[in-house]
Amino acid sequence: MESRISRFVLRVLTAVALVSVFGLWAMAQDDPDPNSPTPILITEATSTRALAQSADTASRVPSNKIATSQAFPPDSDIVIYVADLALMEGEGANAFRAYATDGQNHIYSFPVVGLEEVSAAKNLYAMTIRLTDDSGFWDTKPVGDVALYVTWRGLASNTARLGIGHISSDDVLTDGSKPMPLGTTNLGNRTSPPTLTRKSGRNITPDFVGYRFAADRRRFLEQATFGPTQALDDRIRRIGLKTWLAEQFAAQYPSALNPYPNQPLKPANPGPDCDGDQTLTPDVPTTCFRDTYTLYPLQTWNSFESLYGTAPLRHRVAWAMGQIWVNSGVDVQQSRHMVEYHKILSNNAFGSFRTMMGQMTLSPTMGDYLSMSLSTKNNPNENYAREIMQLFTVGLFMLNQDGSIICVEHNPCQTGDTPQPSYDQNTVNNLTKVFTGWTFCAVQASCPNVAVGALNYIDPMLLNTANHDLTAKTLTSYTGSTTSNVAACPTTGSTSCTVTTGVNATQAAANTVTYANASMNQALDNLFNHPNVGPFIGKTMIQHMVTSSPSPAYVGRVAAVFNNNGFGVRGDMKAVVRAILLDPEARGDLKTDPNYGKLREPFQFTTNFLRSFNVRSADGTTTSDGYLLGRGEYTGMGQIPFFSPTVFNYFPPGYVIPNSSLIGPEFAVMTTGTSIQRANFMNRMVFTAPAIPITADSNNGGGPRGMSVDFSDLQTLSTADSTGGQLVDELNRRMLHGTMSAQMRSTIMTAVTNIVATDTLNRARQAAYLVATSSQYQVQR
Amino acid sequence: MKETRRDFLKKSGGCALGMVSLATQMHHLGAMSAMAQRVLDDQANSPDAGYKALVLLYFQGGNDGNNMIIPNHGDATISNYTAYSAARNTQGLALTQTQLAATQINVPRLGNLAYALHPNMGLQTQNGTTIVNNGIHELWGLGKLAAVVNVGNLVRPLTKAQYQSASFAKPYQLFSHSDQVTQSQTANAKTQAFTGWGGRVSDKMTSSDNPGGLIPMVTSINGAQLFTAGQTTLPLAIADANTPLANVLNPAGFTGTGGPARLTAFNSLRTLDRSSNYVAAASNVTQAAMDANSSLATAQDVTTLFPNTGLGRQLKQVARLIKDSTALNVSRQIFYVQVGSFDTHTSQLTGQGNLLTQVSQAMRSFWDELGVQSMQNNVTTFTLSDFCRTFNPAGTGAIVGSDHAWGNHMFVMGGSVLGGDFYGSLRPDGTGNYYPTLTFAGPDDADTGSGARGRWIPTTAVDQYASVLARWYGMPQDTASLATVFPNLPNFATGTFPSLNFLP
Repeated sequence: MESRISRFVLRVLTAVALVSVFGLWAMAQDDPDPNSPTPILITEATSTRALAQSADTASRVPSNKIATSQAFPPDSDIVIYVADLALMEGEGANAFRAYATDGQNHIYSFPVVGLEEVSAAKNLYAMTIRLTDDSGFWDTKPVGDVALYVTWRGLASNTARLGIGHISSDDVLTDGSKPMPLGTTNLGNRTSPPTLTRKSGRNITPDFVGYRFAADRRRFLEQATFGPTQALDDRIRRIGLKTWLAEQFAAQYPSALNPYPNQPLKPANPGPDCDGDQTLTPDVPTTCFRDTYTLYPLQTWNSFESLYGTAPLRHRVAWAMGQIWVNSGVDVQQSRHMVEYHKILSNNAFGSFRTMMGQMTLSPTMGDYLSMSLSTKNNPNENYAREIMQLFTVGLFMLNQDGSIICVEHNPCQTGDTPQPSYDQNTVNNLTKVFTGWTFCAVQASCPNVAVGALNYIDPMLLNTANHDLTAKTLTSYTGSTTSNVAACPTTGSTSCTVTTGVNATQAAANTVTYANASMNQALDNLFNHPNVGPFIGKTMIQHMVTSSPSPAYVGRVAAVFNNNGFGVRGDMKAVVRAILLDPEARGDLKTDPNYGKLREPFQFTTNFLRSFNVRSADGTTTSDGYLLGRGEYTGMGQIPFFSPTVFNYFPPGYVIPNSSLIGPEFAVMTTGTSIQRANFMNRMVFTAPAIPITADSNNGGGPRGMSVDFSDLQTLSTADSTGGQLVDELNRRMLHGTMSAQMRSTIMTAVTNIVATDTLNRARQAAYLVATSSQYQVQR
Repeated sequence: MKETRRDFLKKSGGCALGMVSLATQMHHLGAMSAMAQRVLDDQANSPDAGYKALVLLYFQGGNDGNNMIIPNHGDATISNYTAYSAARNTQGLALTQTQLAATQINVPRLGNLAYALHPNMGLQTQNGTTIVNNGIHELWGLGKLAAVVNVGNLVRPLTKAQYQSASFAKPYQLFSHSDQVTQSQTANAKTQAFTGWGGRVSDKMTSSDNPGGLIPMVTSINGAQLFTAGQTTLPLAIADANTPLANVLNPAGFTGTGGPARLTAFNSLRTLDRSSNYVAAASNVTQAAMDANSSLATAQDVTTLFPNTGLGRQLKQVARLIKDSTALNVSRQIFYVQVGSFDTHTSQLTGQGNLLTQVSQAMRSFWDELGVQSMQNNVTTFTLSDFCRTFNPAGTGAIVGSDHAWGNHMFVMGGSVLGGDFYGSLRPDGTGNYYPTLTFAGPDDADTGSGARGRWIPTTAVDQYASVLARWYGMPQDTASLATVFPNLPNFATGTFPSLNFLP
């Protein structure tokens, strides 16, 4: 009987699944081949020197008459030739970057200032580059022979030599260049995407292959979730990227099994049975205080959602947005308070950026963290006004739509120029005035969540009309801005904010509310419509999800979608997320640009790893609450969730890695000290059964359950192949989406086969530890 | 055995060149020969060939210097206690003269007028907390603690009129935390820089001064900091003294089944796939950790009691490294430590008070430990912060705080420091005193009008302050080196900035 019921249930479920599959099929759009052709930098006919000439039109000659073995003056503009491109509409010079490495291994970045089509048939382009390092990093200029290459959509061309100042005959550069002259057969042939060794894991029998690019599926999931799992990989293989995105946009959040924690607001004096003090009156249960009045419930909730959630895209986008609109347990120490803030992030992750701006501004949690709840007309506090401009919307400097900075002297900037500020202290002072007077709502009639004896962190802040500044304000000004001036509230007439003829005190207060709300909305509109927001938010989101140093063209494409989602709507985050993830610079099986990718931040590093190995509770019997991910493990790695040290996030978006000119935000939490802590985390997860840090208590409300990983499937592979090859190849597929080099493979194989073949568990551990701690895995690319 | 670059410079006359520029500065002082002779003597006695270290103590968040060094006199010709109290007392942010009595200091440069340090920087009564020593106020009287007054980020000297004019360069994004931190740590307020001045000093000196050093010249005990990053310097960053040096970079595991083989593979993977710059960068960091780890295994602990606070533990870790410097084969070291939460928009009296207790106690323990190590003359500790805070309070009553401002006061502590005095500059037009005029919308206030809040226009640039420290440390003083490390310093060469030689 039982089995009949379950068979029946199964049949119904299958029917439902089929319906949903067909439903999705109907709305499925084609996912194109994600692989762009690799650009070819043309060389001279018989050497590895770039075919190049001065950009000076007077001396420019037909490309077949270019003198060979020339050197070019530093800072001059030259033309080089690039073939095998397939440009999209609107893709021009800023889709490319040119890099040169000199004999000291200094990497220089040359501005690409022009791109002209030479031959449509051969996809050949003349590219003008300026031989001036714009990385702003090195004191020295590149001189002599350098190894030059260009990058496009995360793909690097071949390298070719270029002489600057003079040419060098010595072979200081071992760049592996080979001649790529005009007229070779590979020109114009862009039908060959890079070949990858794709090792099959287990056999899948899909009904429908919606997206066959196995490596790109994994890459996509690294960018869009907290790490690939086989189930997600299968799902995308079946339905494709666009359909999966549509599915995620509509998915219930938080996951059905993991509702938001719902603790009461903390009263000034919690009762003696839940005050964390066990001496006089023990708490009931003993963990009552932890489970009610700390960040513990939120952190375990967040771990569960990251490790098992069924709406991973929304959770990931909220995580990224939360690193732009930062709040922190340094000041906000209650789950209840932080949950209300997190709801604003998640509710708007696929919604309107403007709506989120409004909700964040009146968020009591944000009002507490950035002091707006204290700001009054007589004692204004600049904190929130400054940060909403600097960090949350427009940023410090005027930007072009591709994210590049505009300078006072030139656009684009030249060496030594001064960036053009987006606003000044005067703007901060004025915006501060707009935001005066709001504070925690204690008015029962307006706010359903007023609780006696506790500050109201749930309802939006409410205006105390006596504290709102009624004077005129000047907001940011930019081309096309029509909202730069907020008039003072009238002191006469029916809209007066002060008592006057025909306006009594009650009416004046009501008028003040109307005036203050209108002023705030005007100010938020003024910021929202600032031309910087698209490139500023677009670039930062790309950095959080895909790559630390996106090409200007990529930023420009995302900014354009922020500005207009195609239906005339600005700030549609759903469209922005789609544009970020489906961009040709994000997609493809393999990226070869040396500056492509990003370091996994500690939370991504750990959750990606755990999700690869079926993470369970410490004793393996149930789901993990990720408790080791709560505090202790992350202190050492520099990223406690919901505990950014300052409003500038754990790492700043413009962080440059020491001893390099590379932008790598996450490297700000990758120091000598934390790099060892990362390895130690993996050592603990892989080799020891992690103890649950707080002893389980019969009185407690459950947990912490801790976590452990499961290598049983790896052991099966280890048993099947005593050479260790299948084991390592599976880790390559699962963790590195096929990018493991032959040398890396053989290095790991040597360590694996050092252990007897029958010890399959330790072989699996050996391999998993080495991949997990490798720089190759720590960098998502 | 070590013939340092400085020895070579002395022989080759480089030092004489240095003296010329010193003498030029002396000329401005109008106190030529005696002072110059003193500097010469000090140079002769200074431990040039021996060990030297700079320790940057960063007050993160913007410390309110207005409540750290307070006028406590009644002289009518210079801002006095009444001026201070009038601006801050109503809203409850003024410290009382009773509170200030025990931490009074006299300032020779200002006719021995009385000022006071924050009361928590003196002897503190034992009240069950971790008060472990007499604090740093005592060091003022001993001439080992100096104050550099009204220092801040500047591109060039600015009078108030110049500040208000669009045609004079000003630091970008004044009053913004991240930018002002960046500028103070890069010593470049003109444009965004990607290396810190500590890192750049290290770039210049590592090969000459620490050849064969077993760890980098620069170490942060507070994570990655722009100050520590150089073009060629990859700084060390380690945890505080809660972790012994032997463990601080020691990877766990590598024992048991397959352990040695795992370690071999773990190490060789870092040499692979370096064509990706991000992979290479991650490998470089881990490699630096592994290199340093093998050198730290035998480091000893220190004997002085340090307070168990964030800063106490950081400075204790610095003291351990200094104690181990001979074994680590380094003759020059730069350290970064930090104390946070100075962004006191609210509840400043308690908040800043607790932090300054922490600062004073930890600095004093560090000083005492250096005494045990006979290293007091070899180590100079100095402070920086994002900015000062508005002289006008924010809010009122128990939660009173202050907002972001500009010119601020700094401490320099060390056996080589010519302490017990103020250092600083007059305004570029020669007016003013060595302490800001505490008047809203006054000549030192960047703000104007009735809403002016007291944001002091600095009279000394961070670049100048830093250059004195770097000169003592032994950084080459040739034009090219100075231009690399302090690119905007020439902007200040012609001003009236005489009295900044707080170090020989």
